[in-house]
Amino acid sequence: MSFQGLISGSECAAPANPLSQVLKHTEGDRSLQQDRISGPSTPRLHYLPGSSSSVPANEQDIALARQFFEGNSSGHAMAPAFSMPHPAELARINEMAARPGISEHWALEQQQMRGLDDPAKAAAWATEFGNTPQASVAPTAQQNIAGPEFQHQRSYMSPLYGSPMPMGMYGMGATGMQYGMNPNFSTVVQGKGKEKEVDFETAFAQVIDSLEPAQSSTSRIEEVDDGVQEIEESLRAAAIDGHVTEGDFQKVWEELQNSEHPPPKEDIAKWEAEFSQLMSAQRDELEDYGKNMQNAWEGGVGNYDGNLGDKPMQFDAEGIPVLGDYVFERNNNFLDPSPSRSLLNEAKALLEQNGSLSEAALMLEAAIQRGELGEGSYEAWILLGETRNMDEREEAGMRALLQGVKRAEESGTPGPGMLSLAISFTNESYDRASHSMLLRWFRTRYPDVSVPEETARAMITNSAWDTHGRITELFLDLARTQHGQNKMDEDLQIALGVLFYTNGEYERAQDCFAAALNVRPKDYLLWNRLGSSLSNGNKPEEALGAYREALQLRPTYTRAIYNVGVACLNIGADKEAAEHFLSALSLQESTGGDTSDQLWFTLRRALLSMQRSDLADLAKPEAKSNLELFRKEGFDF
Amino acid sequence: MADIKAPGFKSSDLISGLEAAFSKYTDAEKQAQIKKTNGIFELQVTNTAKETVTWTIDMKKTGTVYKGKAQPKADVTIILSDETLVDLADGKLNGQKAFMTGKLKTKGNMMLATKLDTVLKGAKAKL
Repeated sequence: MSFQGLISGSECAAPANPLSQVLKHTEGDRSLQQDRISGPSTPRLHYLPGSSSSVPANEQDIALARQFFEGNSSGHAMAPAFSMPHPAELARINEMAARPGISEHWALEQQQMRGLDDPAKAAAWATEFGNTPQASVAPTAQQNIAGPEFQHQRSYMSPLYGSPMPMGMYGMGATGMQYGMNPNFSTVVQGKGKEKEVDFETAFAQVIDSLEPAQSSTSRIEEVDDGVQEIEESLRAAAIDGHVTEGDFQKVWEELQNSEHPPPKEDIAKWEAEFSQLMSAQRDELEDYGKNMQNAWEGGVGNYDGNLGDKPMQFDAEGIPVLGDYVFERNNNFLDPSPSRSLLNEAKALLEQNGSLSEAALMLEAAIQRGELGEGSYEAWILLGETRNMDEREEAGMRALLQGVKRAEESGTPGPGMLSLAISFTNESYDRASHSMLLRWFRTRYPDVSVPEETARAMITNSAWDTHGRITELFLDLARTQHGQNKMDEDLQIALGVLFYTNGEYERAQDCFAAALNVRPKDYLLWNRLGSSLSNGNKPEEALGAYREALQLRPTYTRAIYNVGVACLNIGADKEAAEHFLSALSLQESTGGDTSDQLWFTLRRALLSMQRSDLADLAKPEAKSNLELFRKEGFDF
Repeated sequence: MADIKAPGFKSSDLISGLEAAFSKYTDAEKQAQIKKTNGIFELQVTNTAKETVTWTIDMKKTGTVYKGKAQPKADVTIILSDETLVDLADGKLNGQKAFMTGKLKTKGNMMLATKLDTVLKGAKAKL
């Protein structure tokens, strides 16, 4: 069968150890990534993955990378360094002010940037920008120019954050500076130098463009809930009436400065900057940028509590969603009699015998409600969570797992359930939560492997794109080390697979899950994970084969049945898809428990694409339709 | 509402399919989607004939898809080619890769753009 091929055959191309295949893939791709990040100056910035010899350069790379990810896409190697921080970043910066230690972080970042002033690096930059055959006559002259030039440009960074200087003037100034500082540049480097000039010009134009929205967006800081209430209020007042004179601000400002608890120096500077921003911004633009800011806040940090009708999701500092307590089912027959038997053990036995997942989950709920929590008082919770997830009840599963993971941490034995929870987050597209959970898992699993301080910090401050890169690198490093020692940890492969999956790199995810399957061929969870990587990677036919393996090992595996339905839906086999969803629902119903909303939703979708909106109306979780209705309509399940 | 389709665009079917799906969502489904996504996307799509069409996916207030500029203002404006949009929806490309290779440009809250894949992809398999 072709699936055997997937695991050990040519597609994997590494029968002995599929891991090596994974490594090959990643190294290839990474080098590409490096090129993008470091721009044209690759020779200097290039370092091999995993080598940590050039630490300063690394840090600088990271700073550049961060700017690249979060700045505007101007495509020019220089431009990101000048572009204003993205609203999301601004929101984060403001939020960070409320956290201890953040000013250090800020300072650190500034230091990294200052690294550019280092003469050696400036020289490198100079070569980068002026490196043409014709220019070889005057390399020293150029270096001399480039040094101060960069410092000048650097000095613009701070005005960027808070200069009340009108935009037009700034733009003129910058462009003028460019030529003013560089009298020799165009003469020495005639031919190609001309092009460079044009490059610079476009780069600056881009910078200026990108500045305008960003600058004004900073002006509406009243959206930001970072604990500086007083300032917020005065700012809001200013924004509302719009007629406040400079003098009023002066007064407020002085009050603030003389207040009982003078804020730290860095904060004063920052606030001052924000104040002047507000003063200089265009009033009629306030509304739009206020919205921008609000979005940045919601998207970047998440714990914004706005007035948007439906309450948006709440997240903690590491991006983990705040979901509330687990909701037990109301009609649970296992709650009644026979206090003598151990429901936890019965549930385990049932799960082992491939029994009904819904029934096992109900037993576990009853066990928990009766206080039978098992090992470390987390065992039952985690088992319940994993069972719920297998039964396509993600929300319930996530809540139970959160509870279990918390309890395991409290009882001093962290670790269990973390991987399952990270997978659950991944399914719900909570990427940041998934990354932080994987990192936590990594730390408990490999306490001896040191995690760079910066990676840990980035979990709180940086975007999912950035944390993904950091964690993947960390995990890959270890996987390589293990490979070198001829070892392989399947769980690490699974974690890597999940990481690739969150980033939409489904082929690499497939390799990872296939590698883990080599070690655990009877693991139906892994077969399903391989299947969904294939399915989301646009190979629904191959995915069906993997699901079949999973269902042979575990016929009651609701999630695999659901996934089969999804694959059918994606290849246009709507009726078959509906039948699979219906059979999963009837499996859940047979135990008298609740059914999965997700299954109903997707069933509805299948019915709608069959043009059967009459049936779709019946297929609502709240309608509690009798499944026999669908059987009468000719659905075979 | 004006016809959502735009002749000469491969992604036109995709968008109208999305619109059809959204319009038939129950309130509960809409709420679930909105809660997860919470953003207004404005897509500025350019085809090979250099024509541009604008679609808006509102996954914040109304849970609808329509042609034209976002009302109220979009949280993120995504500028991309017809083909890129189709590739994104097919899962051949992810948002980050498209962004890094310059196939996709954004204005506004870029991190919201990462959620676009989820919105475009209807049914997704689960791990």
